Amino acid sequence: MGPWGYVSLAYGIVWGVIVVYWFVLKRRYRAAETELNRLRSSEAAGSHDKD
Amino acid sequence: MRHLAQSSNAVKKRKGILGGLALVAVATALCWSLLVAPPDAYQGEVQRIMYLHLPSILIAYLSYFLVFIGSGMYLWKREKKDDLLAHAAAELGVLFTVLTIIEGSIWGKPTWGVWWTWDARLTLMAILLLIYAGYLMLRSAIDDEQRAASAAAILGIIGFLDIPLIHMSVYWWRTLHQPPSILRPDKAPWENVHPAMLTALAISFAAFLLLYFYLLSLRYRVGEMRQEIKALRLEREV
Amino acid sequence: MTLVKQAYLLLCKDLLLELRRRDSLLTMFFFGTLLLFVFHFAFDMPPDKVAELAPALLWLAFLFTGTLGLAQLFQAERDNHCLDGLLLSPLDRGALFLAKTGFNLMLMLAVEVVVIPLFWILFNLSGWNLLPQLFLVTLLGTVGFCVLGTITAAITLRARARELLLPLVLFPLMIPVILATIRCMEMVLKTGSFGDATPWLRLLLGFDVIFLTIGVLIFDWVIES
Repeated sequence: MGPWGYVSLAYGIVWGVIVVYWFVLKRRYRAAETELNRLRSSEAAGSHDKD
Repeated sequence: MRHLAQSSNAVKKRKGILGGLALVAVATALCWSLLVAPPDAYQGEVQRIMYLHLPSILIAYLSYFLVFIGSGMYLWKREKKDDLLAHAAAELGVLFTVLTIIEGSIWGKPTWGVWWTWDARLTLMAILLLIYAGYLMLRSAIDDEQRAASAAAILGIIGFLDIPLIHMSVYWWRTLHQPPSILRPDKAPWENVHPAMLTALAISFAAFLLLYFYLLSLRYRVGEMRQEIKALRLEREV
Repeated sequence: MTLVKQAYLLLCKDLLLELRRRDSLLTMFFFGTLLLFVFHFAFDMPPDKVAELAPALLWLAFLFTGTLGLAQLFQAERDNHCLDGLLLSPLDRGALFLAKTGFNLMLMLAVEVVVIPLFWILFNLSGWNLLPQLFLVTLLGTVGFCVLGTITAAITLRARARELLLPLVLFPLMIPVILATIRCMEMVLKTGSFGDATPWLRLLLGFDVIFLTIGVLIFDWVIES
């Protein structure tokens, strides 16, 4: 493997891993946000019922 | 209605800007590292891996420092936000340590002929990886949230304080058992460095830092939201 | 009551319990000896090669034996829920740390005092006059192990898979001690004195002092978890 081969391997793996991690993080973020909004709105609905 | 910290639109916008800046910086860094900067006199093109490796090392250490600060503050003030910071920083720290090791290994193959040598830097990174992977495992192994946070905080402090001692012992160990080598690539003369290489390095550092803080803010927010979800779920059960 | 006095009383309690039942001590002793046997079969080498490896093998044996002892360290308190009682009393937590560390130290020293000469005999090593220096190194190394070990045992107390997690967390932190102890022993065996290995000795001493102090200061927070 020539020198550029090693360079592309390194850059490829590093940025690949970072992009994948970013995707996973984004997905967790959105899932948490959705769940949070769901809980908050149902809590608001619940407290309105009590009024 | 009471909520824990709310991610207002202003905060979200700031995160977006940070993300955008990080993207621009990373793109610039890639251009400079791969195209603008000239190849090294001794190491050739392979030296370009250093534009990844050196910033990664910095980020890893920065992360562990943040774990230390977060852990200390948590034990002192018992505020959840410090624990969230420590956890997020630990996760990112492990990520960048793994990357550092991979980069170091790939750089080592054409330079020293082997994928792994027990040289001081790589060994040190491997040990740090073990410590902070242990931190993450400890957290997930304790069911009670508060206890997990406290236990992890202790480890976060002890681990960080141990780092200088580990540094010393590993470096002494390696200088006593120095493998014979005609060329010492990691001691390349930095005096005759082309200015474009220094610029590439500086841009890479900036890019990694911006990227790191962007990812950290995302991860922190995820932790924060999970906290609030747990609290809300608990409230409903009551 | 001063810190040291409290620690002393707690230590005596643990020692009394141990003297009565002797399970930890005997288990550790037999395990250490067993490891020596296994190493001897595993490393089937000429005697001079063995002498080179001796410090490393010895320390590995103590490391694993010590881990066994650590697993038992808070066992009595866990079984009888004494930990809550201890926490409710106006005891300085630092004293508890010193007592537990001291107890583990004494167990390990008791094992080492027997196992080291045994090792010498089983592996046909020479140089009995070097034993005092070797004991010094062993002592410093064992203190380092016990200090970090006690803290680690306390924080992994409530974790699932505790027995696996404890060495996993402890061993990387122990690396300076492992390196320093083995290098010192090698130097002593080779040249008869510490010589070039003196920096390692100082590192060991520094390690012990630093983490002993830290342990006393932060054990409040450790035992809450």
